[in-house]
Amino acid sequence: MSLALTIGLLMGAGIYLVLQRGMMRIIFGFILLTHAINLLLIASGGVARRDAPFFGGDTSQAADPLPQAFVLTAIVIAFSITVVMATFAAIGRRDDDTEPDSLTPADLGDEGEEVRS
Amino acid sequence: MLLGATLVVVVVTMAATVAIGRAAGWVAAAGLGALAVAVAMRASEVLEPGSVVSESVPWMPTLDIALRLRLDGLGALFLIIVLGIGALVMAYSARYLSGRDIHRHTGYYAWMLLFAFAMTGLVLADDLVLLFVFWELTTLCSFFLINRSGRKASAPAVRTLLVTAMGGLALLFAVVLIIARTGTTVVSEALASDAWQADGGFTAAVAVLVAIAAMTKSAQFPFHMWLPDAMVAPTPVSAYLHAAAMVKAGIYLLLLFSPALAGTVVWQSILVTTGLITAIMGAVFALRRFDLKEIMAYSTVSQLGFIVAIIGIGTPGALATAALYTLGHALFKAALFMVVGIVDQQAGTRDIRLLRGLARRMPVTFATTLLAGLSMAGIFPLLGFVAKEYLLGGLADPGGPAWLGVALAATGVLAATATFAYTARILLGGFTDYRGTERVDDTLDTHRMPQMVSEASPAFLAPALAPALAGLVLGPAIVWLHPLTGAAGSAAAGEPYTATFALFAGFTLELALSITIIVLGLVVVSQRRRLDRVFERRILSFTAIDVVEKMRTGSIALGARVGDLTRTDGQALHLGVPWILLGIIAAAAIVVAPTAGALIQPDEPWTDAVLFALVAATVIPTVLVRSRLTALVLVGGAGFAVAIWFFALGAIDVGLTQLLVELLTVVALVLILRRLPRRFHRVSRQRTIVTAAIALGAGFAATLATLAFTGRREISAVGQYFLDNVYIDTGGENIVNTILVDYRALDTFGELTVVAVAGIVVMAVLGTRRLIGERDVALAVPETSALARSHDNTMPIRVVAHWTAPVIVVLSLYLLLRGHYEPGGGFISALVGATGFALFYLGASADRLAPVRWPYRGLFASGIIVAVLTGVAGMAVGSFLRPIRFDIPLPWGGEYAFTSALIFDLGVYFAVVAVVIAVLNELGGVRERHGEIVERAKRSTERAREEVSA
Repeated sequence: MSLALTIGLLMGAGIYLVLQRGMMRIIFGFILLTHAINLLLIASGGVARRDAPFFGGDTSQAADPLPQAFVLTAIVIAFSITVVMATFAAIGRRDDDTEPDSLTPADLGDEGEEVRS
Repeated sequence: MLLGATLVVVVVTMAATVAIGRAAGWVAAAGLGALAVAVAMRASEVLEPGSVVSESVPWMPTLDIALRLRLDGLGALFLIIVLGIGALVMAYSARYLSGRDIHRHTGYYAWMLLFAFAMTGLVLADDLVLLFVFWELTTLCSFFLINRSGRKASAPAVRTLLVTAMGGLALLFAVVLIIARTGTTVVSEALASDAWQADGGFTAAVAVLVAIAAMTKSAQFPFHMWLPDAMVAPTPVSAYLHAAAMVKAGIYLLLLFSPALAGTVVWQSILVTTGLITAIMGAVFALRRFDLKEIMAYSTVSQLGFIVAIIGIGTPGALATAALYTLGHALFKAALFMVVGIVDQQAGTRDIRLLRGLARRMPVTFATTLLAGLSMAGIFPLLGFVAKEYLLGGLADPGGPAWLGVALAATGVLAATATFAYTARILLGGFTDYRGTERVDDTLDTHRMPQMVSEASPAFLAPALAPALAGLVLGPAIVWLHPLTGAAGSAAAGEPYTATFALFAGFTLELALSITIIVLGLVVVSQRRRLDRVFERRILSFTAIDVVEKMRTGSIALGARVGDLTRTDGQALHLGVPWILLGIIAAAAIVVAPTAGALIQPDEPWTDAVLFALVAATVIPTVLVRSRLTALVLVGGAGFAVAIWFFALGAIDVGLTQLLVELLTVVALVLILRRLPRRFHRVSRQRTIVTAAIALGAGFAATLATLAFTGRREISAVGQYFLDNVYIDTGGENIVNTILVDYRALDTFGELTVVAVAGIVVMAVLGTRRLIGERDVALAVPETSALARSHDNTMPIRVVAHWTAPVIVVLSLYLLLRGHYEPGGGFISALVGATGFALFYLGASADRLAPVRWPYRGLFASGIIVAVLTGVAGMAVGSFLRPIRFDIPLPWGGEYAFTSALIFDLGVYFAVVAVVIAVLNELGGVRERHGEIVERAKRSTERAREEVSA
């Protein structure tokens, strides 16, 4: 139950963030989404058995190793994607805006903050 | 064999065009002519009913699709038409094309001959799929030949393509249906299948589809409009594709399927009805036109209507008549089109309102037109006369109630009378003073036509004259055609048939009908000026072309409107809609299977609730705060909480990886954070509400989905296998690691490639675009304050890094070595090593002091190369990436169980370390020097100013 709630929370927060404006929040949302999906993958193996899957000894309570291997791969790939997204966030004209300027400048984040010259 | 020869002609002619320009037409003509003769010689083998010549080369054996070729009487007839008329048109083109601009001619001859190749393939194909391929190839050739004749041709070309391609789809459906039902791709076998009799619905469906395909190709009502539309193509193209050959592809298809479909009610009614409607409609439209070529186009539509109707009758005699008529039409219509081209070239216009007195100036041209025209009108003793006689006879005897025969014959007579009338319009309008209209308000400049028009050269005339003369000879000598038409008739009917056409068969009903037509026709011609006034009125306020054009623009507009829904750079719409849809699916799933509530585990450890609280405590504020830095810290915290979750669920390696990745993610993001505003962009309240609603729905659905998953109590079969067999299979004990490097090494190989590619993308992007400038650090301290001295302030961390970083790197190597047995492995050890490097960076007092200047490009490459080499070595013992294992005796006793999976893991290590160093260097801005920063900032402000003023 707690795991399900955790995943739901991470999912909701992640989706909320990727639907906002600005690359940085999209990245944060993406990170939270990967957490949710990775936990969901682990959950797909069942959560009743929680011993680490190592060979030898009593494996009657060992967790399913296959989802773990998938998730390990997924984490590293998600890191790569995050890094690429971060790069795009850092090359904008003025900031990491993702939408055209339909709003007035006053609506933007930091009023008066200027590029160092 | 023949197909190959046609292709050779294509190549030779293209080469010849480059060398000798338009005269290459002669080369092509010679080639096609020789092939036509070869077919005629070979034809004797297939003229006996039922005998065929066939060849087969496998193409896609698994689908039983092969280059099966088969020549029977029907194929022979069409081949002779395609190749013979092709040769004439090529010879004609040699004079028709202008002497300049050789490049255009290369394309012209290539497409024309490619078309000849496609038609040859079509009539020879004995494989349903092959048949379809060649069918579409003719469509494509037609499109390109129309399209290349100037800018105004592109719209008609597209319309033609749309209509004919639609028919192609119908044929594809039919082909698929037939293959599925009869279980064979061989045309002759499929047609002989007993499924046609057994399954009426199937037969009817195929009949409709094949009829539609043929109707689009042969320009039958209501698909007729593309043919007049396609007349923007050069005249030789029209003569060949749109009169003699391509439009006959539809006729061929109908005849080909006749053995299976003839006699079916659907087939009969569709073909006879549309055929006769088209015959009359085309003829009437031809009477309304002024452009000779357009008249020809409608005439072709009308004539094809006759053939389609007679095929619909479906008796062996009717089918043989269809074959004869096809040949006759190919001869006279090719001649007529070529004549129109000659008139156009010599007089400079094709408008009958302008053409006057050409009968005297161009006697040979006139004679040719007269011969061909009379054949079309069905005048004794030309070939067209014989064909029309038997056609009317066939219509009068459809094998149903008596009134039906009378009605069909009457309609046929009506259409034939109209044919007579428009033939007269061509002859009188084109060569005498008749103008085809009584209106005097025509704005056309009647003086545009030069006063002195001269006869064309013999070389130009000969190709047109030849088929016209053939029509004259073959009429009386109809007996010569008996073997060919008989064989074609038997092939189409599927039963032996001997042709008995005769020029004069006594005083029969047909003769009476012919005389009626001629008398009626003469009356109409004498009353032509009065009739013209009737026909000039528009019947409908729109034309069929308008309808096609509306459909085309309408579908494009609809597509644009659909596209407009998502035509935005903003990610919110693209990402939001799928989640809304997923939420709907989830809701539906809950309604259908409302069992999630029963899946709540009663016996979960109390620590789980603590972990949830931990995640909630970091995640909920993350969505609420407006400061970038705060959000980053909170996201990092959430990552750690998730890592603990992994540990709690027994995923030790995953937890370790998560912990380290989270660390490095935060470091990487901090690097760019100082280039961004402190606060997030503000969005409208409405958007916040909508996105929050979507997020809540998705979160709810995800929770339920997880409950459904976690209800599982047993381990999966494959999981159990790993637990039992891992040591035997791999010699390893850490199952997750062995899955990564032994069982699913290819997966991991793909992954490390992704990692390396990500690093390369970062480098490539930052190699072309500069980073945003750094923001002013608003430190409220004077320059002299200790806080402003970055070098001194970073001293402690540098000292720590100096001593611990080497230890961390060594530790990472240890983790790498033991990964097979204990928690560790390539990813974890590389990430641990990378944190060591990150520590160096945190201690650096300025951007340009990059602590680690390793050539990370080389590291990417070496990571992948090491992995590939391990994989290749694995091929020695079985397959790519298969681990090699042997024991190395240790000097202090015992032995080390070596496996090449360790080397593979080393490749992973390199790639991951490289990407982390690359990110730290690139995003950290180490590339930039201080001077450049100032320079760039100035430039960007200037650019911004320019944009504002613009």
